[in-house]
Amino acid sequence: MSVKIKLLILVLAVAFLSFKSISEPELFSVPANFPKPSYHFESNPLSTAGVELGKTLFYDAILSADNTVSCGSCHQQSASFTQHGHVLSHGVNDKLTKRNSMPLFNLAWSSSFGWDGGVHDLDFFAVSPITNPAEMDESLANVLDKLRNSPQYPALFKNAFGSEEINTERFLKALSQFMLTMVSANSKYDRYMRKEGVKLTETESEGLALFQQKCASCHSGTLFTDFSFRNNGLFPNADDKGKFEITHDEADQFKFKVPSLRNLTYTAPYMHDGRFSSLAEVLEHYASKIEKTPSLDALLMKDGKPGISLNADEQQKIIAFLQTLDDEDFVKNTLFSESTLINEIPRKNIDAELKSFRITDETIKTLFNQSIDAYFKIKTAIEAKNSLLAAEAARSLIKTLNRIRITETEQKKFFDSYQQKLFLDAKQMIEGENFYAHQLDYFDELSAHLYILVASFKANTKVLYFNECLKSEFKWLSDAPDDISLSTDCNDKKTKTLN
Amino acid sequence: MLLCAISVANAQKTGSLSIRFDHFLGNEPLILNDKKYKNATGDEFNVSLFQYFVSNIKLIRKDGSTYDIPQDKSYFLIRESNKDSKTITLTDIPKGKFTGTSFLIGIDSTRSTSEIGYRKGCLDVGGDAKDMYWAWNSGYIFVKMEGTSPQSTAKNNMFMYHIGLFGGIGNKKTLNNIRYATIDFGKETLRIKDSKNIPQITIKADASKILNGETNIEIAKNPTVMGGPFSAKIAENYKTMFSFVGLGTLVANADKDKNALGMNQEQK
Ligand code: HEC
Ligand code: HEC
Repeated sequence: MSVKIKLLILVLAVAFLSFKSISEPELFSVPANFPKPSYHFESNPLSTAGVELGKTLFYDAILSADNTVSCGSCHQQSASFTQHGHVLSHGVNDKLTKRNSMPLFNLAWSSSFGWDGGVHDLDFFAVSPITNPAEMDESLANVLDKLRNSPQYPALFKNAFGSEEINTERFLKALSQFMLTMVSANSKYDRYMRKEGVKLTETESEGLALFQQKCASCHSGTLFTDFSFRNNGLFPNADDKGKFEITHDEADQFKFKVPSLRNLTYTAPYMHDGRFSSLAEVLEHYASKIEKTPSLDALLMKDGKPGISLNADEQQKIIAFLQTLDDEDFVKNTLFSESTLINEIPRKNIDAELKSFRITDETIKTLFNQSIDAYFKIKTAIEAKNSLLAAEAARSLIKTLNRIRITETEQKKFFDSYQQKLFLDAKQMIEGENFYAHQLDYFDELSAHLYILVASFKANTKVLYFNECLKSEFKWLSDAPDDISLSTDCNDKKTKTLN
Repeated sequence: MLLCAISVANAQKTGSLSIRFDHFLGNEPLILNDKKYKNATGDEFNVSLFQYFVSNIKLIRKDGSTYDIPQDKSYFLIRESNKDSKTITLTDIPKGKFTGTSFLIGIDSTRSTSEIGYRKGCLDVGGDAKDMYWAWNSGYIFVKMEGTSPQSTAKNNMFMYHIGLFGGIGNKKTLNNIRYATIDFGKETLRIKDSKNIPQITIKADASKILNGETNIEIAKNPTVMGGPFSAKIAENYKTMFSFVGLGTLVANADKDKNALGMNQEQK
């Protein structure tokens, strides 16, 4: 072969390769203003199919013992992958977690995970929520079996890893692949730092300067954490000693991970136990409420007194700066959302739960119908975004359900189990008294449970309609067949009639 | 790469070795659930579960030098509830004479922090090792014994000793409960040769040593011991749990391969 032809082939090959790398979607890249990531990408290279598999697993409740809770239940994108408005998180059977759910982003730069840092490699983290009785209460071995027996997963594993084999390594690596793609680096501050033509306001700039002086010793660098574990002076709670639970070293008592401060607008409430609901409370804490305990971080002591000197004006400026760290693109990026899953997660068929009972007792029938009325009050209140009213109606739903007495054993057992579920759903409405998004989160569960109960006992006197959006999984009951009030983006609605 | 498993013996210059672990409680064979025992402090108890990891096995020559079983073939999970797991087979050992053996009780710190790709077979946290792994404080449980005792103050009169902790990683130091056992063959000599008859070392593992020793454990005071500082006392106790019984040969029969692989093969 002549040199010329060889050269030509080489040029063509290079052209082809570079073309290929352009057409391949970029799954992970390091933003210009970020340091080198610490995740071991070389042993888990990201692939489109691997990320897609991880995302499917992340949103699939098959990972929990009773198939009701997914990673996405406690890590919601619109809340920057923490749980909306939750102080603690609710897992299987509504058990509470010990700690506030953590936001998930920029995980590729972390080298220890959890508020106490007990897990040193992202790949291993998922085992913890899956096996924790207060989270998903399942064994990983069992999850793998469920996946092996599912109609869709063997093919998804084949796409991602070359064969249908489903094992621990592939499962955990796929989840990591998806979580690693969640990079949040497009806040106003990032664009300002990258000189993309964005300016900070005067207040924000002053806030930044104050932040660098008073906060950046711990919340340092572009990631806003130095990845250390410290005691920032919260009033201690003996039930959770943080890093001490891992090391049993007295010096580690009440030390928790220094968290990133990105996306705070979406991640309230704050701290490992969600004790503060606003940034104003956080700033007030640093300024005047620091608790002096033996392990209090030395940086928070000044001239023998605890606290950071911050007047009200300075606190406001710092808050203004913190808000420049909100990355709206991240919480809205459909790449990370369930709605863009290529493989639909098989839904639980609600109708499989239905029984065929009949209520003849008029008192019970009346109570059932009063419960339905209470439900509609909740619905109307939520439509009007009136959380207080919705909570009040939820209280009356609990009261009415409580008065229903069923005697026949089989019917009673069924009723009791759904009564319990409805109580929990109604409690969520009450808990969300000041938090509309939280009520909306649980409204579909409430609707589904009431539907199953009413349809099983054929207790309704008026005709009812049960509506379901297949993709978004939103569910609600209505008294007219074409009701779409609560679901704006539902074009795949299915309606069942209850006569 | 296969962990916790056996490869086909290289016929020429190497031979195989079998190690059998016989479980006792004091001088009586350990019988799960049905038998009552007493510890040094006089507490009565039965045992419902007894299992442990053995790893980093070495064979010791007369001059003190050692042959180290390659890492990837040197992790075993021994369970009282699984007979096959109590006999392990090591292959590809260079021919020679040995006067003792030593091993680590548990999992070394390197493997405790290695990537998921190096955790196959008995180290699979979603498989064989699922009940020998702490997820929230990532690491393996080295030795696990459970049972009931009327003296126990815990729920259902249970007692649970789950001992792990490899020393931690980076700036998160934990206790280091890694302990080693050394077994001397006394006057006997182990000869590794390429023959059909595989030599077998029989080792006694005495579960009573978890409770009795430098610290005699009162079940009433410490019914559950896991990650706390007291775990070090139990590790100090159980490091003397293994002792030499004798050398023999593994009878070459149809059962051999099954025995050799046991639970230590990757589970399907
Ligand atoms: C019941 C709610 C719940 C569920 C379900 C849940 N998590 Fe979490 N997640 C939490 C809580 C609470 C924390 C903080 C844990 C701690 O520090 O003890 C957390 C922390 C994390 C972290 C650590 C983040 C960091 O920056 O250190 C990761 C990663 C994570 N979760 C991933 C997952 C994955 C993957 C799943 C699904 C397999 C999942 N979570 C399921 C509540 C949940
Ligand atoms: C001594 C180190 C240190 C300093 C200085 C410090 N922080 Fe923190 N910060 C922490 C730690 C540690 C936590 C987590 C504490 C916990 O949850 O127990 C935290 C938590 C927070 C949180 C809650 C984040 C979340 O996701 O829940 C906010 C907001 C915050 N800090 C803001 C600030 C601001 C603003 C300043 C400066 C006025 C500041 N911090 C100074 C160590 C520090």
